[in-house]
Amino acid sequence: MLRITAGKLAGAMRGALVGNSTRVAAVRSLHGTEESAEEFDKRYEKYFSREGIDGWEIRKGMNDLLGMDLVPSPKIVEAGLRAARRVNDIALAIRWLEGCKYKCGDQMATLYPYILEKVTPTLKELGVPTLEELGYDKPELALKSVYDQ
Amino acid sequence: MSALRMLPRARPMHLDSSVVMGLRFASGDQTRIMSGDREVVGYGINGRPIYFDSQDCPFPAIRFRELTPEVCAIREKELGDWKKLSLCEKKMLYRHSFCQTYAEFQKFTPDWKLVLGLGLWSLAIGCAITVISKLNLYNDPPETFEEDRRSAQLRRIIQLQMNPITGLSSKWCYERNQWK
Repeated sequence: MLRITAGKLAGAMRGALVGNSTRVAAVRSLHGTEESAEEFDKRYEKYFSREGIDGWEIRKGMNDLLGMDLVPSPKIVEAGLRAARRVNDIALAIRWLEGCKYKCGDQMATLYPYILEKVTPTLKELGVPTLEELGYDKPELALKSVYDQ
Repeated sequence: MSALRMLPRARPMHLDSSVVMGLRFASGDQTRIMSGDREVVGYGINGRPIYFDSQDCPFPAIRFRELTPEVCAIREKELGDWKKLSLCEKKMLYRHSFCQTYAEFQKFTPDWKLVLGLGLWSLAIGCAITVISKLNLYNDPPETFEEDRRSAQLRRIIQLQMNPITGLSSKWCYERNQWK
């Protein structure tokens, strides 16, 4: 009786264990897969173009992206601009452009014109001025002391 | 307005004052009061309603300026087509949200001169204090510091073979009576 029960139990356990191990494998492979650049771009594009995204999520996404060691691709830049349009915040769009320009780093001379060229139609469509039009490529104002404001 | 700002926004009346105090420190209520009527727009760097310009976290949690009727009017216009906004209005909206542009807060400031100046001044003052105390404060060094006494001390150390493995005496050759 005990032997039969033990055998059944072992069978059940094995089933459970096998089930677990496949699940673990699935999780591990999820953890281990390298996300390609295209997938990354798509993920963030999707994030920014989600219907009903709000300012908090946009800022979170942008803060994250600008904290990474990469230059956002023009498609992400565009998606970010459109997201800013959806929440009606032009300051967000301008700051996002500035951030993307800063991310070009020492490749500013080659990467920034490329991004700008790709993004220009969107800028025109939305009515977002470029940094050069705003004069924000150079310091505009000296900072006043916080006690004088 | 400024007096109103000092009042806490939401005070849990059913709690006694010590608990309220604890809550306040834990939840950053003071910071919320200091941020005044500024709109909280995001998470920012640590979830607190604070503003600062940084390239590592370019979107702070609150807008830089408080709402005024003029800005409200422009923000009404902002809901519509952005092409209808003038450049000046766009700039105003930007400055409403942010204090400094990237170009401004990344500009190299001449603060290093002040820092270097203060550093050199503190060095100079330190040197002056050393010299003055040497001249006026301290007595003459004890007589054991005299040259012949010190050489007598050294001779004694070598004769007693002090620290013969790694120390002074290990450097003395006792056969030839000279330094190795």
